[in-house]
Amino acid sequence: MATTIIEPGEILPPGPETPFLRRAGRASVFGDRARRFMALAEGHAMADFLRFMGHLAEAQQRTLDAQGAPLLPGAEQIALCKAHGMPPLGTQTLRRDPSWREGLQRLLEQVESQANDATRAAMQRLAALPEAELEAFADRLLGGEYAGLDLAAAPLVGAALQVYWVRLAAAMEQADFPRPEVHTLCPACGSLPGASVVRIGAEQGLRYLHCALCASEWNMVRVKCSHCESTRGIAYLGVEGGDEAVKAEACDACKSYLKILYMEKNPAVDAVADDLASLALDILMDEAGFLRSGPNLLLFPGAAAA
Amino acid sequence: MQVSRRQFFKICAAGVSSSSLAVMGFSPGTALAQAREYKLSRATETRNTCPYCSVGCGILMYSLGDRSKNAKSEIIHIEGDPDHPVNRGTLCPKGAGLLDFVHSPNRLQYPEVREAGASEWKRISWDDALARIARHMKADRDKNFVARTDDGLTVNRWLTTGFLAASAASNESGYLTHKVVRNLGMLAVDNQARV
Repeated sequence: MATTIIEPGEILPPGPETPFLRRAGRASVFGDRARRFMALAEGHAMADFLRFMGHLAEAQQRTLDAQGAPLLPGAEQIALCKAHGMPPLGTQTLRRDPSWREGLQRLLEQVESQANDATRAAMQRLAALPEAELEAFADRLLGGEYAGLDLAAAPLVGAALQVYWVRLAAAMEQADFPRPEVHTLCPACGSLPGASVVRIGAEQGLRYLHCALCASEWNMVRVKCSHCESTRGIAYLGVEGGDEAVKAEACDACKSYLKILYMEKNPAVDAVADDLASLALDILMDEAGFLRSGPNLLLFPGAAAA
Repeated sequence: MQVSRRQFFKICAAGVSSSSLAVMGFSPGTALAQAREYKLSRATETRNTCPYCSVGCGILMYSLGDRSKNAKSEIIHIEGDPDHPVNRGTLCPKGAGLLDFVHSPNRLQYPEVREAGASEWKRISWDDALARIARHMKADRDKNFVARTDDGLTVNRWLTTGFLAASAASNESGYLTHKVVRNLGMLAVDNQARV
C-alpha cells in the first residue's frame, strides 16, 4: 500500500481569525439555491412546490445579474451605525429605492409561464397594486405582521426583497459592518435568521446563522440557542431515518427551534431550499411543543396558525 | 408598528393547509400524510474539556437519547470543538481516541484495593476507600512529619508522601488542591496536567 507522507506546511493552520460575517456571493447565491431546489424536488412529496420555488430562485438570480448596485445609505449613516453596533441596512430604518419594485416586476415576468392558476392570480393582484400599497405590503412582510396579508403573493414579494437586500449587502464594504453585540440578528440588515449552517472548509465545524432576507451569514457559537442565547438543554432533533444533514436545534429554555444544516453530511445544503423541503420536521417539532424562531420568506404560515 | 421582542413562526399541520403553499395552489396533503409516519430522533452535543493534558482542548461530545426520559443515552462521537480558542476544532491522536476511552471495558469504574500480601483486587465502597486513604495518610504523616530540622530550623514538612492531581481541572479546584496539600506540609505535589 502506498503511504502518503505529509510534508511540513501541507496541513494549513486555521487563519488568524474567522470572518464574523460572510456576505452572499452575488454571482451564484440564488443560482445555487435554484439547483438545490430542483435536486430536492426529485421524488419529493411536494415536488411541484419545490420546482416552482426553484424557478423563482432562478428568476431571482437573473434579476440580480441584471440589476446594479442600489442606492446605499449615506457614509455618515453607515459610520453612525458602525459606531453604535447597529446593522447599516436595517429593514426598519432603510428607505427602499424603487429598484426593488422593478426587480419584483422582472421576477413576475420570468416565472409567469411556470406558475399555476392560483399563483398567476396572485401575480395579477400584485401587478395591480398601487405603489403605496405595495410598499405597505413590503413593510408588513418585513415587520413580521402576517395577519391579513395576501399569502399567495407574499412569497413573491419576499423573493423580490431578498434580491434587493442581497444587492444592498453586496454593494457595501466588508469593513462597513459592525461586529454585532447581539448575535441573534443579522449584522447587515437586522433580520432574523432563517436557519443555521455548520460549515466545512476554511470555517470547518463553525456555525453560521443564515439571514432570511439578505442571505448574509454570521458566526455564532455552536450548542447555543439562536433565539434566547441559552446554552442549557439544547437538543438536536431530526426525522428518524430521514436526512442527516437537516436537524432542528431546539432550546428547552424558550421552547423554540431553528433548523441547522450540516455541510459535512451534504455540502450542497441550502438554508432556504432544504428548509422548505423539510417541512415535515417543522410539523413534528410543532407537535413536540416547539415554536419556530425564524422565518422563511418563501413560505408563510396560515392564519389558523397565528 | 407592532413591535414584539419574541416573534415566532408557527408551522403546524393545521396551518399548512391555509399557508402560502396551499393558497398558491400546491397541495400539502401528501407532505402532511408523510409527516404523520415519521418520528423525531433526538441527539445532544455537549461541550467538555479533554482530560489528557494541560493544553485543555475543547471537545464536543455527541450523544443519542434523552436523559430526562427512560431511554439509555450513549455517546456516539467526540470531536474537537471548533469554537474553542485553544484547539479550534482539532485534536491530537490521544484526544481523537477519546470515544474508545469512554467506552473502554477496562475503565476503572469503582474503587478497588489489593491488600498487602494478596494477589486479588477487591471492590470497596467510596466511603471505605476515602477512610482508608485518610488513615494511611495520617499514619504516615504522624510517623514522618518533620517540624524542625536537626539544627533547630522550623520547616513543618512531610516528605514521605506525594500527591498527583488531575488535569483539566479549573483554577478553583487547582487552588483547593494546593491549599489542602500544602496545609498538610506535603512538598511532593505534581499535576497530571504537566505530563
